[in-house]
Amino acid sequence: MTWIVWRQQRPVLITLAVGLVVGAATILLLRMLMINDINARNLLDCVAKGIDACQGSAVREFQNSWFDVMHVALAGMLVLPLLVGLFVGAPLFAREYEQGTHTLAFTQSVSRTRWMVTKFVVAGLPALVAVGVAQVVVRSWLLAAGKLGPFAAGPFYLTNFEGSGVSPIAYTVFAYTLGMFAGALFRRTLVAMTLTLVIFVAARFVLNGVRRLMLTPTRVVYDDPIDYRIERGPLYVDGGYLTPSGAEVDPASVSGKLNCAGRSYNTGDLVACYREHGLVKAYVDQIPVNQVMTLHLVEASIFAGAAVLFVLGSVWAVRRQV
Amino acid sequence: MGLREHPPVVAESLGKKYSRGWALRDCTLQIPQGRIVALVGPNGAGKSTLMGMITGLLRPTAGRIEVFGDVPNGRGMHAKVAFLTQAKPLYPQFTVTETLHYGRNANPTWDQRYAEDLIRKAQVPTQAKVGTLSGGQRTRVALALALGKRPRLLMLDEPLADLDPLARETVLQTLVEESREHGITVLLSSHVLAELENVCDHLVLLTNGRVRLAGDVHELLREHPQSSLSQLALAHMREEVAA
Repeated sequence: MTWIVWRQQRPVLITLAVGLVVGAATILLLRMLMINDINARNLLDCVAKGIDACQGSAVREFQNSWFDVMHVALAGMLVLPLLVGLFVGAPLFAREYEQGTHTLAFTQSVSRTRWMVTKFVVAGLPALVAVGVAQVVVRSWLLAAGKLGPFAAGPFYLTNFEGSGVSPIAYTVFAYTLGMFAGALFRRTLVAMTLTLVIFVAARFVLNGVRRLMLTPTRVVYDDPIDYRIERGPLYVDGGYLTPSGAEVDPASVSGKLNCAGRSYNTGDLVACYREHGLVKAYVDQIPVNQVMTLHLVEASIFAGAAVLFVLGSVWAVRRQV
Repeated sequence: MGLREHPPVVAESLGKKYSRGWALRDCTLQIPQGRIVALVGPNGAGKSTLMGMITGLLRPTAGRIEVFGDVPNGRGMHAKVAFLTQAKPLYPQFTVTETLHYGRNANPTWDQRYAEDLIRKAQVPTQAKVGTLSGGQRTRVALALALGKRPRLLMLDEPLADLDPLARETVLQTLVEESREHGITVLLSSHVLAELENVCDHLVLLTNGRVRLAGDVHELLREHPQSSLSQLALAHMREEVAA
């Protein structure tokens, strides 16, 4: 059975392999060029200590030429799972139904379940490996930029989270099983691809929105209700003011209490005004950087749970008799 | 095998209803062992539906069906059954050799030498992609794939429909030879009885989703005034239209 599926998937697997080799070679080349650029501009110190430690135009010039390219690579990591869902998952069963070859498969001695499992594994595993390799290669490039690269802004910044940890693999498994299920259910490749695109984008959008609610945040309290700075790095969940007793001030009533016209911060008068109005301290609820792995796992388990449902749905759809 | 073997197909009050209505109704019949059975009827009589339920691709709405004593289900087809659908689906991107390789991988009872012999007899180029073959050659490859698993029951849905007269004759001849030689029960469907006239020894006539006639060809001819099978079948179909 493995040979059959390998033979069927050969064009897809060759495309995948060529894409991976060309993509990885390009990224490794870019990495090399960038390291040369770092050395030529004498920026090694900045790479280790960060942009604040550097003076002069060299850093700006370096970022002008590399910052966007590095973000494009990260954005590519967002698209890769979707491509697997569209071009490997969706046609997996839909194409058999379209060609009529499912009756050929169903009229051999192997059970439908074994046929499904073999197809699922032989087609899916190489795609997962490709995504994993791409992630490692992109990561090695971005790490070489050190504190001048996108990772310096913390693991939650922009697409840093989605391109790291178990997330790319979890999104890939989700997209692949989603495409497979849609194809097994509707038996049309184009319908399956469209549904995969729409549902994947919607699911990622919704889960991006609620990600900050997945863990219990850590509260940081600032004694000065005005002069505090939200750290870069942790994931901001919520923020506001505290009353003398330490209770949260109702956010709806805050704007009325900020009316302190004519009182100066420098004399401490403004802070006194805030406190007179009951805004004693400020707080920020955030998910600290050291919990990024937990957050990755929690989000991935949601996608994995959906993937399990899609696999069960596919088994049902293929084994049902019409 | 032998006396204890269940008959290839036993159907009792079998029925299948689609959203547009009943495709097959109240079908009770038995396909006897070792015969070449013609399943005949006009288009839409329920021939493909009956075959679909024998394979397990379709689920009966009413009644029951047994294939070699087992009830067909959605998990997979009975190992003793080979089925060639009307469209003769094959992977167009596979070569003939790869198609046989497919058969070997998907069937534990596969007989590679036998399948290769059938391809050789058919003079189909083995390195050609299936998608580039003529209709007749494709049918021969599909037949080799079906016979290579050494089935006890071979079902063919309209196997001759898209073949020229010469190819029809050679395909039929192959079928008869192989079934006689290896004792395979063959169930052939067609809407043109004339082409099966000299081949089959058992007839099942379906019209409008019901069994009109079923039995041994010689007995049927003895019981009815018509002198040939085609005339007998036509007479029954005419009755149906008149009614």
